[in-house]
Amino acid sequence: MHNHNHNPYEPMPMHIARAYYESNDHSLKTLELVFDRAADREQFFSSYNPGQFCQLSIFGKGEAPFGIASAAWEGDFVRFTIQKMGTFTQAVHRMKAGDCIGMRGPLGNGFPIDLWHGKNLVIIGGGCAFSTLYALTKHIQHPQNRPDFNELIVIYGARNSGLCMYKNDILSWHERTDLEIHQAIDIPEDDWLHHVGYVPDVVREVAPSAENAVAVVCGPPIMTKFTLPALTDLNFPPEAIFTSLEKRMKCGLGKCGRCNIGSKYICKDGPVFSLAELESLPADI
Amino acid sequence: MNYQIEKKDLPALLQQWMQIAQVFAPVKVENFTQFKILSNTNELVLNGPLNTRYPPKSLFLPQSEVLLKYQDRDFTTTTLDKQQRIIFGIRPCDAHAVTLLDTVFDDQDNPDPYWKTRREQTTLVGLGCNEPRETCFCTTVGSGPFDKLGLDILITSLDDVYTLEVITEKGAQLVADLPSLKDDNQQQMLEVQDRALDYLHPAFECEGIKEKLYNIFESEYWQQVSQSCLGCGVCTFLCPTCFCFDIVDETQRGERVRNWDTCMFRIYSQEASGHNPRPTRSERTRQRIMHKYAYWLDQIEQIGCTGCGRCIHYCPVGIDIREMIGNARVWREA
Repeated sequence: MHNHNHNPYEPMPMHIARAYYESNDHSLKTLELVFDRAADREQFFSSYNPGQFCQLSIFGKGEAPFGIASAAWEGDFVRFTIQKMGTFTQAVHRMKAGDCIGMRGPLGNGFPIDLWHGKNLVIIGGGCAFSTLYALTKHIQHPQNRPDFNELIVIYGARNSGLCMYKNDILSWHERTDLEIHQAIDIPEDDWLHHVGYVPDVVREVAPSAENAVAVVCGPPIMTKFTLPALTDLNFPPEAIFTSLEKRMKCGLGKCGRCNIGSKYICKDGPVFSLAELESLPADI
Repeated sequence: MNYQIEKKDLPALLQQWMQIAQVFAPVKVENFTQFKILSNTNELVLNGPLNTRYPPKSLFLPQSEVLLKYQDRDFTTTTLDKQQRIIFGIRPCDAHAVTLLDTVFDDQDNPDPYWKTRREQTTLVGLGCNEPRETCFCTTVGSGPFDKLGLDILITSLDDVYTLEVITEKGAQLVADLPSLKDDNQQQMLEVQDRALDYLHPAFECEGIKEKLYNIFESEYWQQVSQSCLGCGVCTFLCPTCFCFDIVDETQRGERVRNWDTCMFRIYSQEASGHNPRPTRSERTRQRIMHKYAYWLDQIEQIGCTGCGRCIHYCPVGIDIREMIGNARVWREA
């Protein structure tokens, strides 16, 4: 990002290596993008940090921001899981392997992973916002990174089992000894072996210790709203709770003004903030 | 170093400059003045209404700018021609505003190539304001009718001569051949500059305004002050420090364009989920005011307003930012 001859509005040409539905109802689609130019790939992976996002670009449809759902070690691709909502995401959902797409990024700060070394991590996600937490978990799982962290607890909720993302991989997490996974769905289903209930309740049930711990929360606003007090009740201080904000963003560079909250730009100063930082900002979220 | 030029000789000087650069100056466009490339010095309007309607920020951040042209998967980004430019007759408040916008567009991490190129290619020759108008409040917010910030040369209009105060090396190159400022004119210049201050009265007290605004963030004040607002956005479009933009694809032309945008529009912050953090005019008015009088202060310790008065002058319902700030200071919850 420090190449000053570079035009930061210019999308990198990418190809879709894999595209598949992530949910049974086809509301979520995952794309794995590969770089057309080696220099772009090197530039990207030299600075990518889980929790960052990219602006995807389709000429004629514009751009929209999406969190990155893959860890760098997984391969030379960048993964996104995208919910069908408006014109841009509908266009994304019509795309298939082999198609071209533009990308700008990585953008934003990402998770302050270095500050979490030696800590217990409690990763709490709900819905498709779990995608960047998936990237974070994958990053930590790598044998080279795992020793940097202590205990790892993952709590992941979805409305129903059909909306659970990264199914096969997460199924295998239940067999792993390097993390503790708690999956939840909102309403009971036959054959569901895990928690039933809303994420904040599951957090209270699992009751992770706040001792030397950091909690990372990403989910729909309603989930976040009720999860934060649950963590506070478990004695997590605001400095040890992190979340990632979403805003309507255009430039992703702290210039177009759109994602401004108080003295911060969510795209540049965030999207990841500690609860302590958020509490110091005006309630404009 | 200070210089002077007889008023009758100004056209010749401008013509000299037009040989080496594009010279932008205020010219009459319909019922207003606007900065245009000067093709004939007769078009110059220096004695009209003080400020152009469009702020000269548009010469660095055009209202609409093509970022790239695309066809199918291929595209070419816009690159700017090498072109020296002189902006002649920019008012000190507007030049001051350009320096505020530098902190946004010429930052360390991601300098905006379009802004940066235009800034590097441009020399700002300012014209001080002998008789600030009623809507001016530059001195209240840290600028002034002869503020030199951001300028390369500052011109003061006397009876028969213009004085030219050189502020930067860039400016010096333009006026090196002119006669030096005579002592009596120097004296008169200082008097004119001093007298201009008589037109300007403190519009409100700035000390502590940020803290006050944060304190009333959730108050009913914003509902009250935004009641008559139509949400037209003219206050932000014509504001020399407002910089928000949208990026859209113009499918017919095959262009990705950035356009001035405004926090005064509902759709500005509307998210795909339907959630809107600023659903009514009161949150949007609050955003406009707080960005200028609280958030800029947090970011760079400067007020994001230079007191040009455009938002007051052009508001279709007569909303006056001076009253809004003044009343905020004394607001008490009922």
